[in-house]
Amino acid sequence: MDLFSTFDISASGLYAQRKRMDVIAENLANMETTRTENGGPYRRKMVVMKAEGSKSFDEILAVQSEGVKIDELVEDTSPFRKVYNPGHPDAGKDGYLLMPNIDLIVETTNMLMARRAFEANVAAMKITKQMAVKALEIGR
Amino acid sequence: MPGKLSFKNTFSALEQAMNIAKQRHSLISGNISNSQTPDYRPKEIDFKTAMARALNSGQKIKTAKTDPRHIDVGTNSISGVEPFEEKGDWNGYNWVNIDREMTKLLENNSRYKMAAEMLLRRVSILKEVIREGGR
Repeated sequence: MDLFSTFDISASGLYAQRKRMDVIAENLANMETTRTENGGPYRRKMVVMKAEGSKSFDEILAVQSEGVKIDELVEDTSPFRKVYNPGHPDAGKDGYLLMPNIDLIVETTNMLMARRAFEANVAAMKITKQMAVKALEIGR
Repeated sequence: MPGKLSFKNTFSALEQAMNIAKQRHSLISGNISNSQTPDYRPKEIDFKTAMARALNSGQKIKTAKTDPRHIDVGTNSISGVEPFEEKGDWNGYNWVNIDREMTKLLENNSRYKMAAEMLLRRVSILKEVIREGGR
């Protein structure tokens, strides 16, 4: 196991958090979407993360440290928001319009968490770099 | 620590220390990248135990030999310490305490740096001896 595989671990964290940001951005962009391909309003999406061990032979022999991957992209099954808006073409007979089940506060909080987790991974990566540089000093 | 603290032994001890710090760093990085993984339990190795094991046991990988002409695989980059799952508090999502992991990251980095710095100084002592001896 070398330091470079540690870079991969941090990179997997960066990738997962960025992907999560993508999904959050998609949710925010679709906060008011009432028409989708499947019919009905847009459903909130979320990512499910999973720890994943490295596949290299060296890694399996050595200490198992796990990176992370996006296991699946799921839809939030919570009920849609109901807004009284009889003038809207998609509103029901009772005048209520079904809006996506997206809560701005939830999305913002998740966004913050994704950002912090991303930063934590960057910090880990920086230290990996420092360690690699220090190891190179010995060879001088 | 077995034997005398000879020049050579110090070298290998420092090398092992760097190796363990590297492995631990890898585990901590894994914990950080999994800080948002549901149900994840952070992994950890104990530096002291790993160091003691690395110094006491030989550094050869033991492989089954079916023929007397088979040779050893060579030195072991693995100290043979199994990581254990760290005890932590349930944060409603998993068992990772991100502050703790970040602190560990820094602490471990200092250990690594310290070992590397010591090794560097050993090398400079060696250089000095060679230079003075050649006069």
